[in-house]
Amino acid sequence: MKTPTPLVLDLIDAIGEEAVVWHDEDLLVYEYDGTIDRGNPDVIALPAGTDDVANLIKIANKHDAPVTPRGAGTGLSGGALAAKGGVIIGMNRMRRILNIDAENKTALVQPGVVNLDLGTEAERHGLAYAPDPSSQRACTIGGNVAENAGGPHTLAWGTTTNHVLALELVTADGEVQWIGHDTRDEPGYDLVGCVVGSEGTVGIVTQALVRLVPRPTAVRTMLAIYDSVRQASNAVSAVVASGIVPAALEMIDKMTIAAVEPVLNTGFPLDADAVLLVEVDGPESQVEAEGARVEGILNRFEPREVRSATDPEEREQLWAGRKGAIGALGQIMPNYYLLDGVVPRTKLPDVLDGVYEIAERYRLPVANMFHAGDGNLHPCLLFDEREPGATERVLDAGGEIMRLCVDAGGAITGEHGVGLEKRDYLPWIFTEADMDTMKALRAAFGPTENFNPCKIFPKGHGCGEAGHQHAQHQIAKFGPKAFV
Amino acid sequence: MADADALKVAALTDLSGTVETDPGRLQRYAVDGQVPRAATKANSIADVEQAQSVATGHALSVIPQAGRTMLALGMPPRRYDLALDLSGMSQIVDYEPNDFTITVEAGMTLAELQRHLAVNGQFLPLDHPRFERATLGGLCAVGRGGLRRNSFGAPRDWLIGMRVVKADGTSIKGGGKVVKNVSGYDLPKLFAGSLGTLGVIVELTFKLRPLPASDQIVALSAPSFESALTAGRAAAQAAPFLNGCVVLSAEAASEAHDLGAKILHDQPALLLRANGLESAASEVLAQGLGAAREAGLDGPERTTAAIVETWQAVVDLETQTAADAVRLRLGVPPANLSRAQQALSQALPEATSWTAASDSGLLFVEVPSIDADTIKSLRRQLGPLQGRLTVESAPTELKQSCDIWGPSGPGARLMHNIKEQFDPEGILNPGRYVDGI
Repeated sequence: MKTPTPLVLDLIDAIGEEAVVWHDEDLLVYEYDGTIDRGNPDVIALPAGTDDVANLIKIANKHDAPVTPRGAGTGLSGGALAAKGGVIIGMNRMRRILNIDAENKTALVQPGVVNLDLGTEAERHGLAYAPDPSSQRACTIGGNVAENAGGPHTLAWGTTTNHVLALELVTADGEVQWIGHDTRDEPGYDLVGCVVGSEGTVGIVTQALVRLVPRPTAVRTMLAIYDSVRQASNAVSAVVASGIVPAALEMIDKMTIAAVEPVLNTGFPLDADAVLLVEVDGPESQVEAEGARVEGILNRFEPREVRSATDPEEREQLWAGRKGAIGALGQIMPNYYLLDGVVPRTKLPDVLDGVYEIAERYRLPVANMFHAGDGNLHPCLLFDEREPGATERVLDAGGEIMRLCVDAGGAITGEHGVGLEKRDYLPWIFTEADMDTMKALRAAFGPTENFNPCKIFPKGHGCGEAGHQHAQHQIAKFGPKAFV
Repeated sequence: MADADALKVAALTDLSGTVETDPGRLQRYAVDGQVPRAATKANSIADVEQAQSVATGHALSVIPQAGRTMLALGMPPRRYDLALDLSGMSQIVDYEPNDFTITVEAGMTLAELQRHLAVNGQFLPLDHPRFERATLGGLCAVGRGGLRRNSFGAPRDWLIGMRVVKADGTSIKGGGKVVKNVSGYDLPKLFAGSLGTLGVIVELTFKLRPLPASDQIVALSAPSFESALTAGRAAAQAAPFLNGCVVLSAEAASEAHDLGAKILHDQPALLLRANGLESAASEVLAQGLGAAREAGLDGPERTTAAIVETWQAVVDLETQTAADAVRLRLGVPPANLSRAQQALSQALPEATSWTAASDSGLLFVEVPSIDADTIKSLRRQLGPLQGRLTVESAPTELKQSCDIWGPSGPGARLMHNIKEQFDPEGILNPGRYVDGI
């Protein structure tokens, strides 16, 4: 029989027995997120409010225990893993939408609110919450804030950082403060801008005031079917260059279609090499005219067909194919490794070619479904972890694809975060001085040793995750030199 | 002390950029009446690095600047040794139009940037007063959204990358050249809006937008500023996709008119702006107009072809404050705008020049004079409305007796920590920002 440690006893004392998870079999579910890596937390604490969070952090600090915040655990960079054990503070119980202010177009929410639930609630007021990650049925606002989450509709509206106005934050030293302001008029540094996208390394968000946006009066979603990925990506470039900013511009390739179609019956043809999903929205007259122009552009690149959906049900069906893609990939292989690279939009066709070439070289099936309009790639390498050496090949190929994005003038993550998984690659983009500056910012928020350790920055001690070894292969191959 | 000063001046002669020490010529670099010991004009990042390295070595306080359009904003500097002039750094560093991103040096003016972009049918969606002089480095250092912030946001929303020379002369970058990026901390967000207190911005990368096919402005005259404000709220609610919804008092309308706005002299007005495809812009404008009329504005409507001139004149009002007058800036949730304006109006009977953005709760007012106690009491009244009142420009004497930024919020502790991490010697813009930073 396991006996509770003094840390566990203190946590139970603070928030009650039912809110503390510490038996081995119960910890299992917290060992994973959406990545290959895993972490082994000692204990999970589930706070009910801001004061709980502050108390928990102080208790963990007293015991020198690492703290890792966690939302829904849908993250794709290992950000929610307890890399050095310690306490995971799970935010799932704080899931109330506290207020929707329709006139000022804001919503005040707790961090455990599911993204889609906020969207649904906003819709009742004729408004929308713009960031819509594909995991929006599960992922939470707190996690979205941490990762600066995007989604298909950030092409027109920007990512999470453009939509967060103020935050209640418990910093790494356990202090609570509100930062930001309803209309961004609090004089001083943009603390909210610093916290959004900091991957939960400077504190835990306990309330968020977010901006809602008006819903467009009309929407048209087009599906263009192509016989070559090259043609599809050329069409993407042409749409972007045309001066139209679609609400969304997504690409889905053959491997993805093969996974999605049998499960979701979205109507994507199985023998097409790539399909594009393009959405335009706005006033009726704008949608009509822009839709026609986009259709004209798509038609220039010899599509097999361009279909159009305007009624909500048809549109929903098309989007189901895109947003359900990751889940459906399990049809093909038991495991997947989803990457997240960004490149300047004109580099997209060449980089895509490179992605297929790398996957082939490593003998890995690859599925691509991504935010083409933003130049944000999501190659998904498929494998079976039971096959000896498969995981290693996946990690190596992943590193090579990251390098391809960097060499194209891009970045190693557009919306999933650096997390545990890609921290060794950060020096491909940033110099020591750049990273020292980031660390200086982190230090301003409190002690850094034990708060969400091993994330973002390379060279953490005692972090020992699987991916680290393999990152070293790629770094040895391409050199550690910063891309400047 | 005299020895130390001599040493400092001697150090300046080592600077690689042009150095100015002639007291007469240094007058143009004055900030709140204080004239620096020297000014240096940087022509490259290396010049800025060297200037900061010398400044750190000799504990010289530095005010980075270029277009000098917003230097009235801020508390008087605690010390001011060196003016670091970046206006010579005004080149495009990297521009691939089809990526819809551009990298420029910090001393490029907003107007110059827009001209380059317009050639390719693109623009950077930001308004700023005196855009022929205002530089991108400067407007990002100030970092605030303008009259069209409801649809444009602030510089932070378009910045995707930045190169900054830190206080000690080290050059670093944050962000990148791609439109979506969470690789490392978002340092551009930190430096944007830091009023040059954390580092010297030397290069900036922005994401861009296509120029709209059609851009339209319509002006409606109103019997009073207050009625125009009410109508403006109605228009903003009925037409959430308006690109601008600005209300001017009679006095402000006259000033804008004199600056080149094609609007009626001496009449309170509501200005609505919409853009996009022509039919869509007209549709949005019609929605806004309809609501404004229903809210009681029944005068004739006037359209103008001089879109840029008219709008810029209105934006320029922000920096047109008379030398001995005071301009206040209020940010408030839009639903509270009218109530906040009433509170201001009661406390400031002499105020006549009012400009407000009804869709985003931004308001500027010029008053001949105001005392520190009135400012304090106004802030107390505006607090419950979530209003934030800053003194935009004022005679130095007033700044010495009141905090132009207002009492610091709960984030002040973190801000001081950041300042300490980034500029431990306190040489960048000392004392000019919030809470003595």
